[in-house]
Amino acid sequence: MSVGLGTIRSAGRGVLVISLWALGATVAVTQESDDDVREGRALYDSHQCWQCHGYEGQGSVAGVRIAPTLYPYEAFARLVRHTNLMPAYSPNVLSEEQLRLIYAFVQSILEPPPLEDIPELDFE
Amino acid sequence: MKRDDRSRPEDQSHPENSAQEETESVNRREFLSSATVAGLAAASVGATDQAAAQQVASNESAPGALPPTAVQEAMEAEIPAGYSAEEAREYFVRNPGSDFMVDVIKRLGLDYITTNPGSSFRGFHESIVNYGGNQAPELLTCVHEEQAVAMAHGYYKVTGRPLGVLCHGTVGLQHASMAVYNAWCDRTPMILLAGNHLDATERRAGVEWSHSAQDCVRVVRDYIKWDDTPFSLQHYAESMARAYRIAMTPPMGPVAVVIDGHLQEGEVGDHSPDLLPMTPVQPPVGDEAAIAEAARWLVEADSPVIVADLMAHDQEGVERLVALAEALQAPVVNQFGRMNFPNTHYLAQGAAAVAQADVVLGLELFDTWGVINTLRDRVHRDAVRKARPDARVISIGTNDLFTKSNYQNFQRYYPSDLAIAGDAQATLPILTDAVLSSMLRSRRATNAERESRWRDAHARAREQALDEARYGWNASPVSTSRLYAELWNVVRDRDWALVSDDNMQSRWARRLWPIERHHQYIGRSGGAGLGYGAPAAVGAALAHRAEGRLAVNVQRDGDMMYTPGAFWTAAYHGIPLLTVTHNNQGYHQEFMHLQRMAARRQRGIDGSSWVGNELRNPDIDLARIASAMGVWAEGPITDPDDLGPALERAVEVVDGGEPAFVDVRCQPR
Repeated sequence: MSVGLGTIRSAGRGVLVISLWALGATVAVTQESDDDVREGRALYDSHQCWQCHGYEGQGSVAGVRIAPTLYPYEAFARLVRHTNLMPAYSPNVLSEEQLRLIYAFVQSILEPPPLEDIPELDFE
Repeated sequence: MKRDDRSRPEDQSHPENSAQEETESVNRREFLSSATVAGLAAASVGATDQAAAQQVASNESAPGALPPTAVQEAMEAEIPAGYSAEEAREYFVRNPGSDFMVDVIKRLGLDYITTNPGSSFRGFHESIVNYGGNQAPELLTCVHEEQAVAMAHGYYKVTGRPLGVLCHGTVGLQHASMAVYNAWCDRTPMILLAGNHLDATERRAGVEWSHSAQDCVRVVRDYIKWDDTPFSLQHYAESMARAYRIAMTPPMGPVAVVIDGHLQEGEVGDHSPDLLPMTPVQPPVGDEAAIAEAARWLVEADSPVIVADLMAHDQEGVERLVALAEALQAPVVNQFGRMNFPNTHYLAQGAAAVAQADVVLGLELFDTWGVINTLRDRVHRDAVRKARPDARVISIGTNDLFTKSNYQNFQRYYPSDLAIAGDAQATLPILTDAVLSSMLRSRRATNAERESRWRDAHARAREQALDEARYGWNASPVSTSRLYAELWNVVRDRDWALVSDDNMQSRWARRLWPIERHHQYIGRSGGAGLGYGAPAAVGAALAHRAEGRLAVNVQRDGDMMYTPGAFWTAAYHGIPLLTVTHNNQGYHQEFMHLQRMAARRQRGIDGSSWVGNELRNPDIDLARIASAMGVWAEGPITDPDDLGPALERAVEVVDGGEPAFVDVRCQPR
């Protein structure tokens, strides 16, 4: 099992996000993060990240799955800023602070039910 | 020119004889109609009056110079009570040209003719209804020509049989043009019948002029295979037979034949036209020596990969591809322009398989260049090769047999290492035989290892698809994976067929549903012109009705708004079809394009991509639209837990032989 620890502090907000990477699952632990998640959700909506990544970050044929969080913030930011996969969003249109808030929202999205709990996905 | 003479073009070519001809023509009209009825009897399918046929044959030896025959006299005796012979000639037509036109259609075996009614083919319309009994072909009432063409498109892709589409030659073809373009791009045959009035001296004042043209097919000529404007009924019979063969010869496509109003409405005339026997055309097959070379390359390859797009015409094509793939133990990347290969087969693999190929066999590829390369959508559109640098490409297909150039649907040129012109499905058995005969025992011994490798890869991909379907499972709007999973649970125990393309729903049908039969998936629109979805689904559902199958249409909201009238046609003709919307309340593709442009120009997209792209405020009540068309409808569904029960209710309606509609607010993709 590999466990990753990331600490992200957003200026003036005191946000602490700890990501545990275990078998692809992520548990988000946040401090004073409810407002950040709400703001991140609003930014995710208004910048229409959901057009490609879905309202729950589940991904689609147009954009990769981004939730539950698969990436540390640095990788997430690189995906947004410098990428061949999607339009490059520069800090001029999406500030670092805004991007961190979006990341906080993405981190808040919970793991879906396990496959065995979804009878509709029993294709046998 | 007299209307009765329309079927005698030789009269018009000799104007110096016009005075005498006029007199003779008038005289001939005394008994012309009776002679032509006998001619039709001789020519018609199922004609039994051999005496009449013989009599007509004798008439043809001296047109216009013979006295009335016994048959003609008998027909003269049919003047309705209370009318003089002169009145009868002015009021009634006994043997209209359009009856013969219907006989020709019957011989071609067109099951249906889709149409929106128009005066330029009123004679033909009446002949189908009364003379033909509205059976084989049966008229299908459409509320727009775009719908009529797309219905024929969908019908062909299930049955492999073309339909006729009856249009006003001018306004009708203009309405039809978008759907004709889709059919052209998708290599779908159909016969467009265009009503027109060529003779300006016999046009009624007003709309008959604005609905006539010198060359009415011109508006669609860039994207049909062939057309003609017959000047006589015999010309019509031959052109229809030629049109059918050209349409059905790969590469297939739409054709058009103009049916002149005067030919339809006038008497057949004293030159009885002949019906022609229909003989099937064998598709073009690739060169034998080139196929042998292709087989050698494929057998010697360490990692051959097959990519198929517009390949399989029917289930036979699917089975032929399975045979080749298993002989080589080569993975198949199905691009799903047609249902080419069962997605449950272990050799069904994703597009990533191309990256490791040393030989790529492309079968009827719409875009060979795009299989090998990609063009990145950045400021500088640079090309990147996806395939190995040393990968060799064999292409088998009919792309090089196309002869039109204006509309650029042939994609970027790729110089395949071995290009074989020929219908891929027809060529496959020869290629497979060549592969098997040239495969040494040592090469055959590697197949077990290859099979094991691809079985593992297929199983992993299946697990991954099921796992990915979980994400967003309880989301509202409903996730597209859940949409297809819920749908599967109402169709899984039935003989089902998907009559829509799942490309805009993240390809969840292909990833989740077991698609094994050719008829279970009909591919894409071809030209990506909106307005295809609903009518093509109705046309395909009509074909499935005859087989008792449950037809399922996942309908995009933006596409539906172009041709919603198709649902009325489904209700009117009792075509069972389950439609479930992928309603994302906008033109989603364009949202993404606008976002890309705004990001590239560093202007941001903070909410502004709704402009010009959204279909909300007011929200469109799609269920009410369907309901207003006479279709059982429910929705909008926003809670994913409500979807399954709604689908169960809808299927009950479809089981009763009617269409049903469930509107579902969905995630964008």
